[in-house]
Amino acid sequence: MFSLFYGLWNYMFSKTEFHVLILGVDKAGKTTLLEKLKSLFSKLEGLPPDRIVPTVGLNIGRVEASNAKLVFWDLGGQIGLRTIWEKYYEEAHAIVYVIDAGCPSSFEDSKSALGKVLRHEDLQGAPLLILANKQDLPGAVSTEELARYLDLKELNERLHMFEAVSAYNGTGIKFAIDWLVDVMERSKRTEMLRVRAGVTGHV
Amino acid sequence: MGILFTRLFSSLFGNREARILVLGLDNAGKTTILYRLQMGEVVSTIPTIGFNVETVQYNNIKFQVWDLGGQTSIRPYWRCYFPNTQAVIYVVDSSDTDRLVTAKDEFHAILEEEELKSAVVLVFANKQDLPGALDDAAITEALELHKIKNRQWAIFKTSAIKGEGLFEGLDWLSNTLKSGGG
Repeated sequence: MFSLFYGLWNYMFSKTEFHVLILGVDKAGKTTLLEKLKSLFSKLEGLPPDRIVPTVGLNIGRVEASNAKLVFWDLGGQIGLRTIWEKYYEEAHAIVYVIDAGCPSSFEDSKSALGKVLRHEDLQGAPLLILANKQDLPGAVSTEELARYLDLKELNERLHMFEAVSAYNGTGIKFAIDWLVDVMERSKRTEMLRVRAGVTGHV
Repeated sequence: MGILFTRLFSSLFGNREARILVLGLDNAGKTTILYRLQMGEVVSTIPTIGFNVETVQYNNIKFQVWDLGGQTSIRPYWRCYFPNTQAVIYVVDSSDTDRLVTAKDEFHAILEEEELKSAVVLVFANKQDLPGALDDAAITEALELHKIKNRQWAIFKTSAIKGEGLFEGLDWLSNTLKSGGG
């Protein structure tokens, strides 16, 4: 009897776990963002930016934000490592794409990598948050300017938002994550992933 | 009481201990790596039957490193060492392409172990000094590292003989263990 109520309770109040991929070219600030997310939204300290080394694999951050459970997957961005990104697409609810807004010479590479991400069929319908990172630097471009650089036609048919942040000092991150959780909760993709998980028995 | 103070002291001053297992097929270079880390030199080794264990102090972490023999007949005994392990260093002979499939199978069998569920995984694509050694991207592919989704992992190109890549790996390991693990 107890287990019945417990099951019902779980069914009604348990939070869905959202998988969010953090992508972007190398040196964009993905891991700094991940560590900042940990210190903003969980009890973990998070590594200080000066201790972070280039990622050659997968970093994971589990946090609770806006009343949802989030699992962030931060993958290495060096060219040779980008081939593993797509192996994580199928189970991702949304994408956070990080760009170093203070380094216009990386925009071309960022743009072509993003185009590839958006064209991949395993990511259909996944909401996209584009972060113009490193706003703490004096030369960082605004979101409007970055959007002009990244005029990808693939963006037109994708639910997305540009946001100016600094993973270094935390500016803009809470607002961006609130938006992301909100759109994930209402997205068709979340529904689709839930149904698929139900069919195969995973929770 | 003394133990309590020791614990308190080490937690205050960040001198942590971590239990690390070094695993991999026979002749991957596990023992050479262990002694390269511990003594900074290349020792001549013979196939390990049983285990070697040494303590390596690095970045304020005391790594207790267990190097277990890799031959087929003794691999079943690895599991005796699994409890309380924070990290697994999996060593691959990057030039031994014939046995990469076996290396992959053993690797994923280890990851399935309940007692290693929360251990982080560091892969050493070793023997980069040999001709024909595959690079980190190719080893990532061969070991199907992308199937790991619930814990942190990283891969480094290493040469135990030349001493390359090993401490970069330990840097990653100490950072990862400090920032809350997998």
